[in-house]
Amino acid sequence: MTAPSREGGTVPDDGGSPRPDGGYETGFGHRIGDGSGSARRQLAVVAETEYRLAVRSRWAVALTVVFAAFALGLTTFSGSEVSPEGFDRVVASLAVLAVYLVPLVALAFGYDAVVGREESGWLNALFALPVPRATVVLGSYLGRAVVLAASVVVGFGLAGWFLVREHGLAGFETYVGFLLAVVGLALSFLAIAVALSAVASEKTHALGGALLVWAWFVLVHDLLALGLIAAFSPSETAVTALLLSNPTGVFRALVLGSLGAAGDAGFAAVLTEAGLSTGALAVALCLWIAVPVALAALLIRRRTL
Amino acid sequence: MKITTTDVEKRYGDVVALDGPSFTIPSGSTFGVLGTNGAGKTTLFELLVGHDRPDAGTIDVGGLDVERAGHAVRERVGFLPEHTGFPGSLTGREVLSIHARIRGLDGRSERIEECLELVGLADAADRRVEGYSNGMGRRLGLAAALLARPPVLVLDEPTAGLDPRGVATFHGIVERVGRESETTVVLSSHVLSEVERLCDEVAILHDGRLEAAGTVGELRARHGEPTVVLFPSGDREPLLEAVGGRGTVTETDGRIEVTCSSAEALALCREVDPALVERFEVREAGLEAAFHEAITGGVEGDHQHADRPAVEGVAR
Repeated sequence: MTAPSREGGTVPDDGGSPRPDGGYETGFGHRIGDGSGSARRQLAVVAETEYRLAVRSRWAVALTVVFAAFALGLTTFSGSEVSPEGFDRVVASLAVLAVYLVPLVALAFGYDAVVGREESGWLNALFALPVPRATVVLGSYLGRAVVLAASVVVGFGLAGWFLVREHGLAGFETYVGFLLAVVGLALSFLAIAVALSAVASEKTHALGGALLVWAWFVLVHDLLALGLIAAFSPSETAVTALLLSNPTGVFRALVLGSLGAAGDAGFAAVLTEAGLSTGALAVALCLWIAVPVALAALLIRRRTL
Repeated sequence: MKITTTDVEKRYGDVVALDGPSFTIPSGSTFGVLGTNGAGKTTLFELLVGHDRPDAGTIDVGGLDVERAGHAVRERVGFLPEHTGFPGSLTGREVLSIHARIRGLDGRSERIEECLELVGLADAADRRVEGYSNGMGRRLGLAAALLARPPVLVLDEPTAGLDPRGVATFHGIVERVGRESETTVVLSSHVLSEVERLCDEVAILHDGRLEAAGTVGELRARHGEPTVVLFPSGDREPLLEAVGGRGTVTETDGRIEVTCSSAEALALCREVDPALVERFEVREAGLEAAFHEAITGGVEGDHQHADRPAVEGVAR
């Protein structure tokens, strides 16, 4: 006699029979739990493990210190006047800082998420368990995402607290919007790093790829796009597509839009003028998170250990 | 839980890792996979646990096709990979708790304590893994593999890199698992004496092909031939003439070694003139002899290091 299994195969006679509690009893009295935890439970276990490892390796503290040091330094020494305009200028300066710093830190934090775990042998151990590989990748991303988001909120939040003390609560909402945008930027680059890590065969390759990604999105993309726009005067749709194809551009447009000031020159100013709503920009940034993670989850299935 | 491989093929580019081995591992047995480096042992194990897919052929674990039901197979298989590692900042207990929860067990299950006790890590359970020796790490891997009482336990070179004490401990655990449960244990090893000690049956792989399979005794009988070692009492020439064309004759350190069939060895012992020999030994074929013969297709080189005296006689 056979019974259907979860993957469409059959559970044979000597394979045992399901238990009422969802467990699995073999013909030899073996108890093997419920075979595997529910997908949500497995995801939570992998994410929690990744979070715990990041905290214990002091990544969480290091990230927070880096963000706080730069943000507080810029806030303290930017010489802002005690006025709403001064507040906006400081946030615009923080946005420029975030564009350079946050992607670099996120890529450095995420490039070894998969390939590093493989080199240490941990991935081998996890893949031998009845857990889908996509769950391992998604869990790894989520665990690190929590650490990174918390570090951004605390690090840049300290600078926000300093600003509120200087300028009062008038710009509080703006700063919260900025903070959320920085979190989105960080998570999008973490997602890209995890995708790179899922396809890289060695950690050094993933690191090299991460640096190239940073250089492309932070240094090259906007310059190239501005050059293309100046040279070919493409359609508005093409310009929008060009603008949205860079998460840092989306981030700058989000922040500039909320500030209502062209404190940042360059491509983001064009994006602001393109008239994309905050909601559309937020969706674009979310896609920059979801698509790389989905790609990583798909590509990991082909990975040979 | 029975395991059957049928015409399994796997290539990596131009390299043929597995070239159609077919064999059956009986339920509840301890089965050894022998082979030189690159023979295909690790590839076979990776296919067995669904880490990779075969290019052709099938692997069936307890009625489940690994390729189609990899998840269900991994629910039933405890696997200790050749290269396994655990994050150094986790404790041994935490590692097992993670494994348990992913498998749907309670993260504080008593089974964790049982496994820690079984592999001798109970005292070190709350120490960080980064402080573990290689042997402790392997034992932790074994504990993780055993955690869910899997019907199948797959161990890829489990004692590689362990010191003699660690090897002995590991052997004891595997023997206990085999003795006290119906677990089907599949292990690979370079250490032939280990396989001889632990395994009921053996498969010998070479260049991805199955060269031989059977019980250790069957392989010895089929592939390994005994060696008669003659210690000349005087002139060697008459003794060599007496040996005649029996088997393969080699001369080492004044001894004459004749590797031949059991019947010929018996006849030689009976017929040799006692005046020509000081004494003689008959060395039973070991698994190593069988292994070498299986992978070379015949007797090559000497078996002297592999064999042990089974019969000794003194001519005068």
